Amino acid sequence: MMKKVLLIAATAILLVISMALPVFATNGQVIYFGNAGKFVFAPGSYYSLTDLFPDLKGVMPGDSITQKITVYNDSANDIKVKIYLRSHGGDELSERFLSQLRMRVKKSSDNSMEYMFDAAANEPAQLGDWVCLGTLYSGGEVYLDVILDVPVELDNSYANNIGRINWEFKVEEFPVDDTDPSPGTGDGNFGIWLGCGMAVSLIIFIIFLVKRRKDDEDEYTPKAKA
Amino acid sequence: MRKAKIFTVAIIAVIVSFFAQSTVAYYSAFGMAENVITSGNISFKIHEKTDKGTDFPRDGITVHPGDVVSKIVSIENVCKHPFYVRVKLVYGSESNLVSAEGCFKPNVDTENWIYHDGWYYYKGVVEPGATTPNVFTKVEMVSSVLSDAHRGKTLTLTVVAHAVQSENNPVSGTSTYTASGWPEE
Repeated sequence: MMKKVLLIAATAILLVISMALPVFATNGQVIYFGNAGKFVFAPGSYYSLTDLFPDLKGVMPGDSITQKITVYNDSANDIKVKIYLRSHGGDELSERFLSQLRMRVKKSSDNSMEYMFDAAANEPAQLGDWVCLGTLYSGGEVYLDVILDVPVELDNSYANNIGRINWEFKVEEFPVDDTDPSPGTGDGNFGIWLGCGMAVSLIIFIIFLVKRRKDDEDEYTPKAKA
Repeated sequence: MRKAKIFTVAIIAVIVSFFAQSTVAYYSAFGMAENVITSGNISFKIHEKTDKGTDFPRDGITVHPGDVVSKIVSIENVCKHPFYVRVKLVYGSESNLVSAEGCFKPNVDTENWIYHDGWYYYKGVVEPGATTPNVFTKVEMVSSVLSDAHRGKTLTLTVVAHAVQSENNPVSGTSTYTASGWPEE
């Protein structure tokens, strides 16, 4: 129940942000909510609620379009995640259309990185196996560019076609350790402070017990009479 | 005293389990996104009106040699993409005994439409939601061609239009007939 509430709240916040920032409205967004252990995909479309390609609609012969996607980690500060992506390729009904299109995928923040995917859009190709997009701390982001090239020779038989490509995301959560950069302050440090507090309390409690025992021993020790 | 020991051990256990949870935790989660690519299209509507603003009658009208018939033809872009457009006027007769050739004389707007190889090409780009200038507004029934043989016969004037995308398809000046992708006839 709690997870559902968190997920609904997160989706509502996402929608509000999307409306408030229209300039980013066409970006695909992948958000991992660590508290709920769920992914949310936005903005979705008429065709699919989890559609990350809002800019790749109504493409025309000769088009070369870049779809930007942001992958965001919304987890507690004491958690870091490794995020992976793999493609299941296009579905069977889309094969004829998607096989005509060239698609490339890369991390836009790293210009020197080779394309993690460069093939016909219907193929899983290099994304057939999990590819790590990076390790993200709380609030961390990674940006993807999906470049679609539509051949100018595409004829009328490809008009009004629909192609569906399934992408799967995976996260592995790890605790933040001493070797990690400081994740900053926030609610996520509450657990650490709680643990420290409990440890200090235990030490004080033990000292108190030892002292009390000593006092008891002193009280029952027969005193020598002069 | 025994109670105190148990309490101490319990607290230690809680703390140890807390840190154990912090250091050993290892979760994974999965999510599937179905991404969709769609291709666009080109579509248009041919308008055939009269000077009264009504649609030109589908069943046609009765004419006589020398009549000038009001028939206003234009093309509207009803898709999301701009395009070039061309129009062809096809004359026909439902009777094998007479020909329609030369019977019709439309007043084609040659300022906006250029004739090339059997077609009238609109010189510009038709943007989404826009309508071209009229291809023609009147058709004269040429009296010198129409004869008694045409009496009671049905002649047809059919407007055929083709469009091709203008995006990623540049032309030089108004030579829209040089654009790539015009359909084969």
